[in-house]
Amino acid sequence: MKSETKVGLLFITAVVMVVIFAYYLGALNPFTNAHELRLAYNYAGGVEVGSPVRVMGIPVGKVKSIVFRPDQKMESGEEVKLEIVITVDKSAWKTIRTDSRFYINLAGVIGEKFIEVSPGSNEKSEFAPGQLVRGEDPPRIDQLISQSYGLAGKILEFVEKNEGSVIETINTMNKLVTNLNKALKQMEKVQSSGQLRNIADDWVTISDDLAFFTQSIRSEEGKKTVHLINKLIWRLDALDAKAIKKFLQEEGIKAKLF
Amino acid sequence: MVTAMGTKVISIFDAIGEVSYLILKTMVALFTPPFRFKDFVKQLNFVAVESAPVVVFCVSFAAMVTIIEASFHMKMVIQNDAMVPGFSSLLIIRELGAVITALLVTSRVGAGLAAEVGTMQITEQIDALKMLGIEKIRYLVVPRFLACVIAGFTLTIIANLVCLYCAMLVSQFKLGYTFGNFLVGMRTFVQFQDLVFSSIKGACFGAVIPIVSCYYGFKCKAGAEGVGLATTNSVVTSSVSILILDFLLSWIFSFFY
Repeated sequence: MKSETKVGLLFITAVVMVVIFAYYLGALNPFTNAHELRLAYNYAGGVEVGSPVRVMGIPVGKVKSIVFRPDQKMESGEEVKLEIVITVDKSAWKTIRTDSRFYINLAGVIGEKFIEVSPGSNEKSEFAPGQLVRGEDPPRIDQLISQSYGLAGKILEFVEKNEGSVIETINTMNKLVTNLNKALKQMEKVQSSGQLRNIADDWVTISDDLAFFTQSIRSEEGKKTVHLINKLIWRLDALDAKAIKKFLQEEGIKAKLF
Repeated sequence: MVTAMGTKVISIFDAIGEVSYLILKTMVALFTPPFRFKDFVKQLNFVAVESAPVVVFCVSFAAMVTIIEASFHMKMVIQNDAMVPGFSSLLIIRELGAVITALLVTSRVGAGLAAEVGTMQITEQIDALKMLGIEKIRYLVVPRFLACVIAGFTLTIIANLVCLYCAMLVSQFKLGYTFGNFLVGMRTFVQFQDLVFSSIKGACFGAVIPIVSCYYGFKCKAGAEGVGLATTNSVVTSSVSILILDFLLSWIFSFFY
């Protein structure tokens, strides 16, 4: 074999290897079968070009490009200055509907960022390829930490400013707890000495007597008695201090009743 | 002692000056006719095609050792080697493929070039060329320089991808990660530009070999001992230069990430 042929074969091998490598790496894909969508965010949370796009956890595409759009506004009038162009395989395109949401999420032990697309409902229509959609901005961990620091600072400041009253409150609570503890101990003593049981027994006896009394009232004799008492009370209704005095004076009895 | 040190320092500056002159003359001759295409192809066959089996064989084992060791260390440190396929790929592509290929080519081609040019020097063949009106740099250095640059570029690509394939096999049969797992891990860490930078490194390393070898060949002293010394010096200097250049290029490329 001639030198030229060997050199040519080596070059062709190298070129083929590069193409295969680029294909597996996703840098080169001439047989692409995907649609594009433009997602608008105000904070992308570390997503990079090449980050995966997943629908229901399955990789269906990639982040194709990230573009800053200082003048971009959504239909609602909201200013959204970052545009992420993603590709979605045609096989998964129909599961993405206009009510789908586009979250930025974390995966794996190294915290790889990806775009998670929630599947939409069948009643809603599909997106048009290249349509601009508002994505869900991820929570900013740095802001949360900063706010936590602020909150912790305010708590510290409050404690420092009201040191006396805080200590007083704690002392009062301490006393309260001590007293409660004492009360509980007393209750325990009472329970263990049997006094509580005696009281309970007395209550049982009283309730038994009351039951017997109400039962006897319900009998014919009882009803008559109640009727008589009722009459008596009705008659005694007009009997006040003046009437009693008059009665006693009429009867010739002189007494100081009131 | 001071005189000896001074002489040594002056000789180092002399060497730097002579190598710079050689590089400059080579660059000028590279872009000006007449071009020696047949010599270039012959050298390319010698440097690239004939070195390819040795390079592929050696880097395969280097890649296998790398991934096994990486897994061992990760398991020892964090009891988990899930990230090994990914960062081993990156290590192979960014460093291992280019550097090991260059060192192998140096030991095979650099030594041969120094011995060949050195023998021509001491047998006055180079003087004969001058007598015939042929520029020694255009005739001897340029075809070898171009062949080594292109061979370095090509062999680095082939070595990297063979390395990755071997690492993939080891991860499948030894570490228990399938080809799919390996590729997913690789995609997490490796970008296409890593292969491009690695190939550029390979080309730069390839450029070092003929310049250093031809320099020592032209400076070769008479006798078998002189040729042996030129060969040894050429391999040592090329290897050291490649490692220093590797550091410089890695530092420069780090600004592109």
